[in-house]
Amino acid sequence: METNQKPVIAILSLTCCEGCQVAIFDLGERFLEFLTKVNIGDIGLIEEMPDVDKYDIAIVEGTAITKEQIRKLKSIRKKSKIVIAIGACALLGGPQEMKDYRGDKKTLIRQIYPNVRGIDNPNVKSVKEMINVDYEIPGCPINKEEFFRIINEILENKIPKIEQKSVCEECIRKNKMCLLLLGKPCLGAITLAGCGAPCPKNNFLCDGCRGPRQKINLNAMKKALKIKVRLNDEEIEMILQRFGKCNELKKANKP
Amino acid sequence: MKLRIDHIAKIEGHASFTADIVNGDVRAAKIKIEEGARLFEGIIQDRKDVEIPEIGSRICGVCPVAHSFAGFKAIEKAYSIEVKEPALSLRKLMALGQLINSHALHLFFFSLSDFFGFKSDLELVNAYPEKTHDAVKIRDIGNKLVETIGGRSVHPLTPCIGGISKAPDMNELKQLLNDCQNNLELAVKLGELFVNLKYPDFYRQTTFVSLYNSDEYAIYDGQIKIGEKIIKPEEFMVLIKEIQKGNDVAKRTLFSDDKSYMVGALARLNNHREQLNPQAKELLEESKIKFPCHNPFYNILGQAIELVHCFEEAIKILSELVKKEKIEVSETVVQNRTGNGLGVFEAPRGLLFYDVKIKDGTVQKVNIISPTCQNLANLEADLEEFEKIGEFENLNTEERKNKIKMLIRAYDPCVTCAVH
Repeated sequence: METNQKPVIAILSLTCCEGCQVAIFDLGERFLEFLTKVNIGDIGLIEEMPDVDKYDIAIVEGTAITKEQIRKLKSIRKKSKIVIAIGACALLGGPQEMKDYRGDKKTLIRQIYPNVRGIDNPNVKSVKEMINVDYEIPGCPINKEEFFRIINEILENKIPKIEQKSVCEECIRKNKMCLLLLGKPCLGAITLAGCGAPCPKNNFLCDGCRGPRQKINLNAMKKALKIKVRLNDEEIEMILQRFGKCNELKKANKP
Repeated sequence: MKLRIDHIAKIEGHASFTADIVNGDVRAAKIKIEEGARLFEGIIQDRKDVEIPEIGSRICGVCPVAHSFAGFKAIEKAYSIEVKEPALSLRKLMALGQLINSHALHLFFFSLSDFFGFKSDLELVNAYPEKTHDAVKIRDIGNKLVETIGGRSVHPLTPCIGGISKAPDMNELKQLLNDCQNNLELAVKLGELFVNLKYPDFYRQTTFVSLYNSDEYAIYDGQIKIGEKIIKPEEFMVLIKEIQKGNDVAKRTLFSDDKSYMVGALARLNNHREQLNPQAKELLEESKIKFPCHNPFYNILGQAIELVHCFEEAIKILSELVKKEKIEVSETVVQNRTGNGLGVFEAPRGLLFYDVKIKDGTVQKVNIISPTCQNLANLEADLEEFEKIGEFENLNTEERKNKIKMLIRAYDPCVTCAVH
């Protein structure tokens, strides 16, 4: 960023639960302090000022599902120097992408809405699949500490990095009481670390919300789920589908 | 004259508003929801029972605890499983934490600026730095309650069928008790700020619906109270219907005779305010509101009073828990994973229903009715009579728009919950 002027920041939300934005809010005093270092371009949760023409940094959560959101996302890219995609929705497609894995989408939407005409129901694409993204902060929700580190590094003109390692390496159950070895369908082995592994720490299996790390062996993971957890192929697929990461898993699979 | 508000800021999710003003009369008031359809009820179908709360909590990042609990309660009802102590107390603490953090966000950061005419919270922060720090601190404590017990504040991890899967550390509970005791005064001070605000003058009679529990101010569990009538949640489901207006992505919930009703803090105060804890009750008396209260703007004050109640209630529950030598939770063995169940819970914004049908551990059907789906029709009915608001004829278009936005925000709508 230019040092003589405060960067213009926008925090923007597409279709999602807005939990990543809540996680940013949860920084509390640190979020207020962050606001003093920037100019606000557009942060809908705290202001209703007219929008500005350019953003230095746009932070985007959610997926663009409606035509209006797709248009908005493209315009965000055009008017921003840096786009940071945050959360499982923006990076993987999110839970809503699971609707596309169920065969006939029309049947599914008709179960819910009597009148489906005019309701956009495209195949869900992540923000990353729709526009060029400069930085990624994964998770469902994002880890607010990781967000805070990365956004500050960007403000200081540093290039933030997330180390390529698996959730297992951050897991307190490492080498003992491993959930997978106990027969729970834990995806820690193929999932990108950086969250601090809060799930296994709280008796909850890793369901891969941060997406795969690079160069995973998907077949080995599937085999482990088959042998250790005794799941069939269909059950394994349903677990891998969570957060809409099927495409990303294929890309990362390099045994 | 056409009145149009393209984007309503400071609510969860995206919505716009349109209405016609004909000879000073508001007509065709409509909240248009601008979110994509996520089809959660369809996604959850055919998945495993435990995925109902796991995926369901992703409907809303502001009240994930509410979705998680409504989901688990539905499953537990279907399987006839009772949640026992201390898991029940731990869940109640998480529920209180959720109300505290959500109410603090709405009260201070979404609503308060409206009373001063600030367009940005930065103006608010500059004008009231001390109050801002207090609000942030109060919110932090709400988050800490959820995080300490739930493992994470957004999308909690420890709730499981039958209870909570991991007992919190006793020292952390003691710390939480300290935090709540030391900051109750801050919550009261924030409450007083809201008591002393001037609320717009508006009245429209409606029906208030909330949980009711003879033992306590109902948040976690209870029967349904409609005005003076108390019925079972299952009976309530027969009285209501979900409709889709045109091609809206958010359904509206009405009584079968097309009448709207209101849920949330104001409904809870109208229905069972006598069960509030002492300091919250004192604050309510200080406010001199007359009940039944049919001014929806007072939903804001209702939340401020509940904030104090939640602190007092958390202190009560934590004081009991820390007397124990150790907190131990046990795993519930589920024998039969088939059944139908209705889970109901008071989310910060009002009643949340999860109606599930499960066979051999696989979800056959799930219907979710969120507070905002129930409030939307009532809010639109209020907006249809908006010309009754004090001094409407003297307001210019901009002022009218601001007042309309203020009323919409008073309901604390959650659009992401409404479209699920």
